[in-house]
Amino acid sequence: MESKLSRNLYSFSYFLWIVIFVILPILLIVYYSLFDIEGNFSFVNYQKFFTAVYLKMTLSSFWYAFLITVITFLIAYPTAYLLTKTKHKQFWLLLIIVPSWINLLLKAYAFLGIFGTYGVANSFLKIIGMGEQQILFTDFSFVFVSVYIFIPFMILPIFNSLNELNPTLLDAARDLGASAWTAFYRVIFPLTIDGVKSGWQVTFIPALSLFMLTRLIAGNKVITLGTAIEQQFLVTQDWGMGSTIAVFLILIMILFMFLTNTRKRGV
Amino acid sequence: MFDFKGFSMQWYRELFHDTRMLIIVLNTIIVALLSALFSTIFGMLGALAIYNAKKRQTKNMLLSLNNVLIVSPDVIIGASFLILFTIAGVKLGFYSVLLSHIAFSIPIVVLMVLPKLMEMSPSLIDAARDLGANSWDVLTKVIIPFISPGIFAGFFMALTYSLDDFSVTFFVTGNGFSTLSVEIYSLARRGISLNINALSALLFLVTLLLVVIYHFITLRNNKASGLGVQKR
Amino acid sequence: MNVASIIQFKNVTKRFGNNPPVLDNVSFTLERGKFYTLLGPSGCGKTTILRLIAGFTEPSEGEIWFNGQKINHLPANKRQVNTVFQDYALFPHLNVFENVAFGLRIKKVKKTEIEAKVKQALSFVNLDGYEYREIREMSGGQRQRVAIARAIVNKPEMILLDEPLSALDLKLRTEMQYELRELQRRLGITFVFVTHDQEEALAMSDEIFVINNGKIQQSGTPTDIYDEPINRFVADFIGESNIVEGKMVEDYLVEFVGKKFECDDKGFNANEPVEIVIRPEDLEITTPELGRLQVRVDSQLFRGVHYEICCYDKDDNEWLVHSTKKAKVGKEIGLSFDREAIHVMRLGETEEEFDRRLETYADKGDSAQWKVN
Ligand SMILES: Nc1ncnc2c1ncn2[C@@H]1O[C@H](COP(=O)(O)OP(=O)(O)OP(=O)(O)O)[C@@H](O)[C@H]1O
Ligand SMILES: [Mg+2]
Repeated sequence: MESKLSRNLYSFSYFLWIVIFVILPILLIVYYSLFDIEGNFSFVNYQKFFTAVYLKMTLSSFWYAFLITVITFLIAYPTAYLLTKTKHKQFWLLLIIVPSWINLLLKAYAFLGIFGTYGVANSFLKIIGMGEQQILFTDFSFVFVSVYIFIPFMILPIFNSLNELNPTLLDAARDLGASAWTAFYRVIFPLTIDGVKSGWQVTFIPALSLFMLTRLIAGNKVITLGTAIEQQFLVTQDWGMGSTIAVFLILIMILFMFLTNTRKRGV
Repeated sequence: MFDFKGFSMQWYRELFHDTRMLIIVLNTIIVALLSALFSTIFGMLGALAIYNAKKRQTKNMLLSLNNVLIVSPDVIIGASFLILFTIAGVKLGFYSVLLSHIAFSIPIVVLMVLPKLMEMSPSLIDAARDLGANSWDVLTKVIIPFISPGIFAGFFMALTYSLDDFSVTFFVTGNGFSTLSVEIYSLARRGISLNINALSALLFLVTLLLVVIYHFITLRNNKASGLGVQKR
Repeated sequence: MNVASIIQFKNVTKRFGNNPPVLDNVSFTLERGKFYTLLGPSGCGKTTILRLIAGFTEPSEGEIWFNGQKINHLPANKRQVNTVFQDYALFPHLNVFENVAFGLRIKKVKKTEIEAKVKQALSFVNLDGYEYREIREMSGGQRQRVAIARAIVNKPEMILLDEPLSALDLKLRTEMQYELRELQRRLGITFVFVTHDQEEALAMSDEIFVINNGKIQQSGTPTDIYDEPINRFVADFIGESNIVEGKMVEDYLVEFVGKKFECDDKGFNANEPVEIVIRPEDLEITTPELGRLQVRVDSQLFRGVHYEICCYDKDDNEWLVHSTKKAKVGKEIGLSFDREAIHVMRLGETEEEFDRRLETYADKGDSAQWKVN
């Protein structure tokens, strides 16, 4: 039938895209990880990955991603909660979301100015008498800017899940004798856990793979997995090693997604 | 920001005096428009493919594959595309950047169009066929007009993603070709130049403009269909 | 094939996957210019029959004939049939005029002609002046009329309506029932109307098909079906009935609730077990002495035009009575009924066997009692 043919025809272009730009790149990464810098087939990259240097780097990347995610979460959850209580919550939400629409580079760039030797931050420190400090190119500035960047992404899913929460559930809990705190951790938090999980997903994995921020803000003080990949591919030109790190990043990503798998539950 | 001494058009004049800069701005715009156009077309076809999939499992599998590029970190997309283009013999530059932008915008368009398709009652298609429409008529006279809000939203999202992208472009851009974000990055790495403020402001305004347009489109959609996900 | 017939199903079976068939060996013929109703409970296959006629699906087995041509594989857009969908399926991006004009535009009819035809169709359904309204600005009843106008403007040979009234409130619904019936008379087009509301079916149709579990249980005029239900399902589904088990002692004599009654049925084996149907409105309340049945009133509901009285006999059979007179709950009363009110059903009899049995009565010359007026 003519309709079937045309249907297959337009599905075909999409399937082609899936094969070339989704499946093939992943296979290529895995394939390249099996070649050393000279182009010989070997597992040397994997051996290298399990040496102290790379393991330490992976751990430190994990540590920073974890730190960033936790701090972001600690700020985002109460903020989202307060937002749902405000009168014009959609407006306030929009206000918080707007920064996430601005190009990441621009935000990084703005912080270069704020944290720079002659920037606002240092003028402030001078005024309160702490003297001039090196803020830029430290791990502090990296974590600070990252948290700032990820906050909207964490707030949004948490806000949505809090907002969908049926308010009578809270009343019911209180009615059944729960204190405000008990009601929170026995009712509200479990019911918004899906939002929290998506928030962690959209923070933790990007935090592992940041590379532009580490270069601009952390000044090579922090090396994330993302930075290492960029380094291997574009500076050292060791695509095999870069691909190996990428393979591990993908594995970590899959594992993390699996752990924070959100299942829809009926309420 | 840096020694900012009031408004002056001078930096902008300088900015555009610089033909190299002008070319980069043009590149960025052309890549954004072309990638948005192509990814909208392919994304729409993709959404239709997923919508038409008979089996539940096929549908879910296609959706998962669709979302791979959305959840993947930029570095991985960038690095794997770099390998892909090198192997395929695509010269790094305009085409590699354009192809990458099309590739990573397609899933976003799919996600914008698919809910609209799902919202459409299947009897609408039956009704059109019943009234004598062939497959092409059904597509152009019923399906596309119905999902057009999703298509517009997808187009603008793709445009924004393209303008916004730094990481993937950075990997596949090669030497001779540059877009605004890559240019800003390299300027920032080399130390601050005056141009960069003007450039940033420009990019900022363009992004903001797109976001506002996008916002109004979605606003109008919700009003028009009256069926959309209306939040309290 | 006779001239009047427009569509014919020949042993049509429809299966989805490996599930049991949704339609099981269905055969029927529809004649031109009549108002048909498909009636049956939810999930019995009514919509599936419409979709087969319209061409949205193809039969798994059997043949569908339209105007003397086999159309099993003819796609929907090539069929001279239009559908009014259950949810109307009006195009939300087009206004009323464009919705109605859709089919004509596909056929590339001239602009001026489209204008005239759409106007005419809209005035046919009493929607003059609504041309440039958006669909979302129309009420439920108006939308339904737009859907009808969109179908009739193409001058199809047949219109299929899938529960078009189910979304309307009771008053509007009754009003639309009249309008639809009237419209069908004026247009003279064959209508196939789907409903699971038996009152609607009885009120509107020339002929009713009662369907259950993918099989046509019985077809006939509303009075045929009401007065002569072929089996328990039809008797139960069409109107309210009292159904009790009994025994056909001999021709014209039936026994139930321990008593023998004269009746009009014959052609059964001696002492064959049967089921007896008596409609609640055929029962009349009298004193226990005068009544042919003695029952006790259990409960009573006022239904507006009549009382619905629920009684039990000594064997605990339930008897529903529709009466304009009130009864007293708890009191013993008598029920009287005519010999014609007793309808005897043979267990497991098919429609063909049933018809054949009816014919034997006619042969013997006492057909007068069987003519339904
Ligand atoms: N596409 C399909 N795939 C599988 N089963 C189907 C499909 N369409 C219909 N069915 C099944 O066929 C049966 C009859 O469906 P149909 O829609 O004809 O019922 P209906 O009589 O119109 O009921 P209703 O009054 O609820 O509309 C149902 O059991 C339904 O589940
Ligand atoms: Mg139905």
